[in-house]
Amino acid sequence: MAQPNIPSSASPAAVTLQHVRKVYDRDNEQIVVLNDIDLSVPTGEFVALMGPSGSGKTTLLNLLAGIDRPTSGAVIVAGTDVTRLSEGELAKWRSRTVGFIFQFYNLIPVLTAVENVELPLMLTSLSRTERRDRALTALKIVGLADRARHYPRQLSGGQEQRVAIARAFVTDPAVLVADEPTGDLDARSAEETLDLLQTLNQEFDKTIVMVTHDPRAAERAHSRRHLDKGVLVKT
Amino acid sequence: MRFLPFILRHLRRNWARTSTTAAAIALCIFLFCTLQTFVASLTGFLMQGTTRLVTRHNVSRAFRMPNSYEAQIAAVPGVKRVAAANWFGGMRDLSKPADVFTNFAIEADSFLAIYPEFILTDEEKQAFLNDQRGCIIGRALAEKFNWKVGDAVELVSSVSDYRTSAPLDFVISGIYHTDQVRYPGTNDALLFFHYKYFDEATGRKAGVATYRVEIADPGQVGAISQAIDTLFENSDAQTHTETEAQYRASLGVLGGNLVLLLNGIALTVMFTILFVTANTMSMAVRERRTEIAVLKTLGFPSRFVMCLILSEGAILGAFGAVTGLLLGRFLLDALPNVPLIGDLIQSFPRMSLPRAIAIGGIAIGVLLGLTAGLIPAVLAYRARITELVRPT
Repeated sequence: MAQPNIPSSASPAAVTLQHVRKVYDRDNEQIVVLNDIDLSVPTGEFVALMGPSGSGKTTLLNLLAGIDRPTSGAVIVAGTDVTRLSEGELAKWRSRTVGFIFQFYNLIPVLTAVENVELPLMLTSLSRTERRDRALTALKIVGLADRARHYPRQLSGGQEQRVAIARAFVTDPAVLVADEPTGDLDARSAEETLDLLQTLNQEFDKTIVMVTHDPRAAERAHSRRHLDKGVLVKT
Repeated sequence: MRFLPFILRHLRRNWARTSTTAAAIALCIFLFCTLQTFVASLTGFLMQGTTRLVTRHNVSRAFRMPNSYEAQIAAVPGVKRVAAANWFGGMRDLSKPADVFTNFAIEADSFLAIYPEFILTDEEKQAFLNDQRGCIIGRALAEKFNWKVGDAVELVSSVSDYRTSAPLDFVISGIYHTDQVRYPGTNDALLFFHYKYFDEATGRKAGVATYRVEIADPGQVGAISQAIDTLFENSDAQTHTETEAQYRASLGVLGGNLVLLLNGIALTVMFTILFVTANTMSMAVRERRTEIAVLKTLGFPSRFVMCLILSEGAILGAFGAVTGLLLGRFLLDALPNVPLIGDLIQSFPRMSLPRAIAIGGIAIGVLLGLTAGLIPAVLAYRARITELVRPT
């Protein structure tokens, strides 16, 4: 396996979180999920976010993917403070800047593999042929060009996750975020998925932030950050 | 248009649910179109002849008035023409009630002048006026019995007072046609023959069931009606004069309440289908909450997701509406040929699906689909991604 291509400390930060706090109101009770988080992920880094259930890992991931907003603090991704964007601007920003990989793949069941990968490109001005070409290229990168016309139900879990990864990077986003990408996979498929993420990081210079419980998955990352009760702990 | 295949895939995803929902909308539009066609036909029929009055016996339609009234009515200021007209109730065979059609004894010359909606060629009209045994029939009746000009027809009245020792025999002098654009709802399944022939055949004892009165000024309806009834208020046979629309509306089933009832039925069905469709669409969208979250995560704006769901509703509605429309058109074409029901339908004015009602039907179908999709669409619009991906 290739050695991780560790970015130099001089790389500009792809993700910066400053004094981020996230509080939920439940039944007149305030639950602090994240408390005063400061985090900097340099461009091209592969970071693993670890921690026990309920520690706030997924919430943190949602914040830097722009699908949730902090109660206070700044979330700066690829040079944009996402907390200052309106809902419409945020949606547009997500489509260009972030690729999201879900634990349960979340492919659209009525679309084929290539159509699923093509979906984010529907928001661009690309022609139908260009979109299809790009989607097929992405599928080729994840090793599923021969499964382009297959529906998700005709694919294995590992293959579905690779299609989901292709969908995440087809728009060439600056940052990929992955929420337990190997959590629903067998050991072999998990390895293949991690290999793929590593390839995207090393060969395509993608900054990756991955939430995981699995120490073996975390070992593939350049660095590991631990969250506990909403606070980043030093390791 | 770029997302149309995507929407259609979703609709095809659960074809059983989609087709039953479309069938429900189709049923609704089918009922709407057929009922509205019936209402439109009926309304056109009822509203004809704003310059025409009908004078009848004050007690009941079963009583008849003396022939001498005609000259007195004609002398009332503002009256242009008067024609006697009696519903004959003639049948070819009294043992075949299903074979029934409507026929009238009329004073042909003045009646045809009062009712320009029964259109004859000059030759046919002259042939009819010149032959006391002559009769004219509508095109639908001619097609039903395969009658043509010159054919002989024998009729026996179902009204005992009008019954003669032998059936009345007629010769078809002409086949009238109608102009449904100028005179919507004109019945083309009638037979008219000469009142004089009828009167003589019944021994001049039949009397007159109705006088059809044409007036010069529609604004004088009230005054002339009152003037006619005043003429006979001290006689044995007092009269009741009303507009033709009122007369038709008072013929029991043709009452205004029927229109209200039919509109009520259409509205009730529409609301029922709306609730059923809204519930089905809510279920369908709820099942796809994760997919909606994915779309939003990928950067599809919330309003786009809302439009996607509304488009699904609109397409479903349009599909159901077109199906319902075709069903309605088929039924309206087929009904006159159905035994028993067909005879009843043919006694009503001609019914064909008007373009305005067809367009209205499609619009309602689309609106129904849009309205049904509105709540799930708004919920999808407002839902946050983190809520949508959370297990329920």
